[in-house]
Amino acid sequence: MKHRCAIVVLLLSACATAGTDDGEYIFHAAGCLACHTVEDGEPLAGGRRFETPFGIFYAPNITPHAQHGIGRWTREQFIAALKHGVAPDGRAYFPVFPYPSYRLMHDDDAGKLYDYLMNRPAVAEPNRPHELPWWLSDWMIKPWQWWLQDEPPAPPGDATLTRGRYLVDALGHCGECHTPRDWAGVKDRTRYLGGTNEGPEGENIPNITPHRDDGIGKWRADDLAYYLETGELPDGDYAGSLMAEVIDNSTSHLTQQDREAMVVYLRSIEALPDP
Amino acid sequence: MKKLSVLALTVLLGTTPIAFADDAENYIKYRQAMMKAIGGHMGATSQLLRGKVSPKGDHLAMHTSALAALNANLAQLFPEGSDFGETGAKAEIWEQWDKFEKAASDAEAATAKLAEAVAGGDRAKITAAHKAVGKTCKGCHEDFREKDD
Repeated sequence: MKHRCAIVVLLLSACATAGTDDGEYIFHAAGCLACHTVEDGEPLAGGRRFETPFGIFYAPNITPHAQHGIGRWTREQFIAALKHGVAPDGRAYFPVFPYPSYRLMHDDDAGKLYDYLMNRPAVAEPNRPHELPWWLSDWMIKPWQWWLQDEPPAPPGDATLTRGRYLVDALGHCGECHTPRDWAGVKDRTRYLGGTNEGPEGENIPNITPHRDDGIGKWRADDLAYYLETGELPDGDYAGSLMAEVIDNSTSHLTQQDREAMVVYLRSIEALPDP
Repeated sequence: MKKLSVLALTVLLGTTPIAFADDAENYIKYRQAMMKAIGGHMGATSQLLRGKVSPKGDHLAMHTSALAALNANLAQLFPEGSDFGETGAKAEIWEQWDKFEKAASDAEAATAKLAEAVAGGDRAKITAAHKAVGKTCKGCHEDFREKDD
């Protein structure tokens, strides 16, 4: 038995080191596909519609097409867009694009993501302009971005916690949906991952803090990891809606070790009751 | 949405025998019970496959044959007109009936394959078939079920 465990551990660590830092793995962990692809459309050609309190946004084409996609972007331009929300022409992106999360991404990983995307098939799909309310314009986003700069530093922790936080916050951008926003659309740090009933597409987004009654505090760690792998809840029900997309496109592609790190991190954060 | 349902109900009651409307509504409770049964067997199957428990008797065959039986002709549990009242079924079921029917028959095929794999006894095949069933559950819930909590 001991031997078998040792072999399993060896296999797991072999899997983990074999691919967790290549571009495709980062692409899955960062969950780019779902938002940048319209249902049954060409992968990454954009067009998916996002109805928000700040207008209707359409995800852009991020295939390497020279005219309609990001084919002419340099690596530096890509990293500036991904992490800081700055377009190659200097304009600010609206934070529907989760750069407030991606800015925690290591430059190294962002560069690998660039290489991966540049090797996808180019699709000649023009971008659709956003439909904004009269009072909103992209120049207003600059000060908004400046406002974001005071991110609290990462809490000290061991390697698993650090990895888990990186997967949850930087790549997985879980907080973009699971953390409620204030009037200006800034994530409310005091309600970190506390859920909201004003989520995307009007959905109720659950509290995923370790609160025992309102959050995931009663879930066993291995059930949580299994959920991220398969979408199965402890009662045998299966996730639907947006989380099913996240599982299919992102968390099911991670290594078991990475899913477990996410769980360890989620169970370490402050437990918040529902308001 | 509620107003629209009331209107639809009035129109329905005016044109068809009352028994029809009752039947369709009864299916809401029935299919919820069926889905709970499916979820129960699915959850039990996962626990067996994950090695969390090993009860005496062939529980794996029991749950997977039940899954195959429960998933046979799932689409019939969603008759037209069963879209009002306490249901998480989205209007898209009836708006995109062909797509829904295909998703339901995918679940039927996947559960039949799982039962077959269990009869064959190959562990790797069983695990793969079980994952495939989960995919069909998730696929259908993603497009056709309202989020409940």
